[in-house]
Amino acid sequence: MFRLHDVSYAYGDSRTGQAALSHVSLDVPQGGFRWLLGPSGAGKSSLLSILSLEARASAGMVEILGVPVMQARRGALARLRRRIGSVHQDFRLLADLNVFDNVALPLRLQHRAEAEISHEVHAIMKWVGLENRLDALPPQLSGGEQQRVAIARAVIYRPALLVADEPTNALDERQAARLLMMFHRLAELGTTIVVATHNDAIVRKYPAPAIELARGHLVRDYT
Amino acid sequence: MARQRYHDGLALRQALPGRFLPFLVGAMSFLAALALAGGIAAHSLSQRWTHGAGTVTTMQVPAPDDPASRPATPAPSSGPPPTRIAVVLDLLATTPGIVSAHRLTDAELRALLAPWIEQTGEQTLPLPAVIEVRALPGHNPAPDLLAQLQARVPGVVMEHDSVWSDRLAALAGSLQGCALLAVLIVMTVAVCVVMAATRAGLQTRRQAIALIHSLGATDGYISGRFASRVTLLALGGGLCGSVLALPMLLVMSQLAAPFSALGDPAATAPMDWHDPLSRIDALPHALLWVLLALPPAAGLTGWITTQMTVRAWLRRLP
Repeated sequence: MFRLHDVSYAYGDSRTGQAALSHVSLDVPQGGFRWLLGPSGAGKSSLLSILSLEARASAGMVEILGVPVMQARRGALARLRRRIGSVHQDFRLLADLNVFDNVALPLRLQHRAEAEISHEVHAIMKWVGLENRLDALPPQLSGGEQQRVAIARAVIYRPALLVADEPTNALDERQAARLLMMFHRLAELGTTIVVATHNDAIVRKYPAPAIELARGHLVRDYT
Repeated sequence: MARQRYHDGLALRQALPGRFLPFLVGAMSFLAALALAGGIAAHSLSQRWTHGAGTVTTMQVPAPDDPASRPATPAPSSGPPPTRIAVVLDLLATTPGIVSAHRLTDAELRALLAPWIEQTGEQTLPLPAVIEVRALPGHNPAPDLLAQLQARVPGVVMEHDSVWSDRLAALAGSLQGCALLAVLIVMTVAVCVVMAATRAGLQTRRQAIALIHSLGATDGYISGRFASRVTLLALGGGLCGSVLALPMLLVMSQLAAPFSALGDPAATAPMDWHDPLSRIDALPHALLWVLLALPPAAGLTGWITTQMTVRAWLRRLP
């Protein structure tokens, strides 16, 4: 679950920077799938950055998975990040690590046993259909394959909160459907999932509660 | 476990290559070893001068075998008056603070004056008796003693060596200060070098760091990984610096031996170039400890500097 109360966010200096979010308040319970809608520049990526702790709100109150983010110490934020998965539009894969090591990265940072890591990575890579590309480096993969690796890395540690920014962009229709099925399955298991998109067709095809932003303001909350 | 350590995406071998940093830290360690050697040598000479030459008083007694003048209150059963040298030696034996009073033998005296005697060709020159008086460290008996001696043995001359030894000790003190300053400068430069290398490494791997930070890596984990790498490199550099400084210090100790090891034939013997390590015993123990301590000191400096630099850099991240 996460709660935002009167949250604002500006790029650069908090007082003089360009406002990306203005006075957004949200209260989302644990579990379930939600769309995050809005045109380009609406503030979707900013909201996802705040939810994935990659940006700090300029003002307001942010509580994620029971942790008051604005007051939390750095160590507590690091522990909280291990419970949050995120998928970015630019994939953020490390070019000098192969697919296996990229996907295993979150588990290694949690000091899991190597045998367990190997088992988990093989299982998730089989699910995303890349079990034969474990030794490939990211630059050797297509955009869709890189997207699937990034998704595998985001879900391998079964996060309590998963945020994804346009995750279906680089995928074909079949892969996109498969991905959304997986997200729904994770949501049923208790993960809170927020997926940003401006693809109306996919939203109509896979209806779910939605949060809609426009010019940094919350315009509709169907959660 | 090893796989975990080397596959976290930081790629520290790229971020902190193993040539630049060890070379610079090695050079700094080398300079620090030389500076510390200078400081230790200055301290050692200062000690020698303060506790050796500084405690020696030379006394000249002209006409040593002539009878001394009688004291104001002569002893009741006095025989023939004692010689001047006997009076001086008696007085020295009863003066507190004096450790020894050695009258130079005729042979010692002639050996001492040989260059002048040989030059003049004069063998029958009347020579004064010379007494080498050693006092306790920091004790200068000259002022009181001279007045007493002058009363009984007129013409006695005393030369206390503390005048020049004090000046030399002051010089040694300032040399120690310079050595300390040099070590501080070397340490400052070493810290700056480590900081610059670490920042360059952080900049090189900033995307990977931002990623593993977003995946939950703590500041302590990231700074620890960088600090471990830098410590290893600094340790290696420090070791090289110490090892390379050793032959230089051996040569310097050989060159300085005539000043620091007077009268020690083993120390002043020419170096055996086939076995230079045989001279290690001639180096002060403090210097050997310094050479041993330099690599861990370099490693510790690297570890602390890197921890602080990385943690400060990570503060930019949310």
